[in-house]
Amino acid sequence: MRRILALALRDLRLELRGRTGLFSALFFLGVVLLILGFALGPEEADLRRAAPGVLWVALAFAGSLLAGRAWAVEVENDTLDDLLLLPGSREWIYWGKFLFLFGLLFFVSLLLLLLVAGMFYLPLSRAPALLLTLVLGATGYAAVATFYAGLVVRLPTAQLVLPILVFSVVVPVILAAVRATIGLAEGAPIAEIAAWWKLLFVFDVVYLTASSLLFPFVIEG
Amino acid sequence: MAALVELQGVWKRFARDWVLKDVSLSVEAGEAVALLGPNGVGKTTLLRVAAGLTRPQRGEVRLFGKPAAALEAERGALLYVANPPAFYRHLSGEENLKSWLLLLGRRVRPGAVEEAMAAVGLPLARPVLAYSSGMKKRLALARVFLAEPRVLLLDEPEAALDEEGRKLLFEAIRRVREGGGAVLLATHDRAFAEAAADRGVVLS
Repeated sequence: MRRILALALRDLRLELRGRTGLFSALFFLGVVLLILGFALGPEEADLRRAAPGVLWVALAFAGSLLAGRAWAVEVENDTLDDLLLLPGSREWIYWGKFLFLFGLLFFVSLLLLLLVAGMFYLPLSRAPALLLTLVLGATGYAAVATFYAGLVVRLPTAQLVLPILVFSVVVPVILAAVRATIGLAEGAPIAEIAAWWKLLFVFDVVYLTASSLLFPFVIEG
Repeated sequence: MAALVELQGVWKRFARDWVLKDVSLSVEAGEAVALLGPNGVGKTTLLRVAAGLTRPQRGEVRLFGKPAAALEAERGALLYVANPPAFYRHLSGEENLKSWLLLLGRRVRPGAVEEAMAAVGLPLARPVLAYSSGMKKRLALARVFLAEPRVLLLDEPEAALDEEGRKLLFEAIRRVREGGGAVLLATHDRAFAEAAADRGVVLS
């Protein structure tokens, strides 16, 4: 656990110092929100209705920019070999990279939540439930993205291939998260929303388990 | 003496080109072996195969008496230094070493990293992106001093090093050998190979 945390924190420090992926994603988010705001507004009711979809569309696309960051840092520094020569079964490397990407995605999703609340009138009265939806959605996204980014890390076309691979698998997570967010925005009872949370939870557990078990085989050169 | 590195009948190809054809060698505890040969003959590939970083199409690779692919905890006693050595550019030399030791699961006494940095003549706080090639080589030597590996694989270790740096390199090789470790180094500098290794293996 100590090494997993150390790897995630080190990658986070490198990401903040390198200022590559996170800043691109934030800039992209701003542009997407602005365009959607102009396209769907200015009526408040229209913006409010679109808010859950806007939140997850923006997060999914910003996530595709961040998806490769977990491994890009190793490619940019030529340090992949050093990482693979660290002792122990390689599952822990997956968990460290997952934690890093989850941290990035969750930070971006929090920022996005505030922006969507401000621009699209997404009600924040059920903020804890919204946060839970973001955590479950970001977990599933990060689980899949970390795995596939590791799979294609050595390909010269990794940045092109990765979003196709990730989106093809992560669609159920995005759909369930959108449905849960719509329910929260429209004031649906928690019991109804909980069904989507359960689905998200099952996806997360399946993706995390399968990815961490398969990871040592896909990362080998 | 036990062989710490053993390659038997190793064949390795990239696309349709066979880079290694039926290569066998072993490096025993306390021994240093130099891989010699011109550019492109497969020295780096052989080191990467020996480290378990890439699998050969045919043949067997054993480290510490176990198949390279089956190593887990033992990988902590193996150190492969690429040419040029790889470090995180946005971290300082000190941060690189401390982060690496943490991930390696290796505990060192307080001040050991700072001492190792001083021993190889490097400043603590400068980011690696401001390092010269020779400084990166020295930082890699600091890793050797800190990790005290049982198997040390070096790819053209003498390149970019000045006279003082070469002395440090010989010291690092000596320490590994005296600690009962094995050193396998690739070079095309015959004079350096004669000075650093017990014997040479020429790839052609």
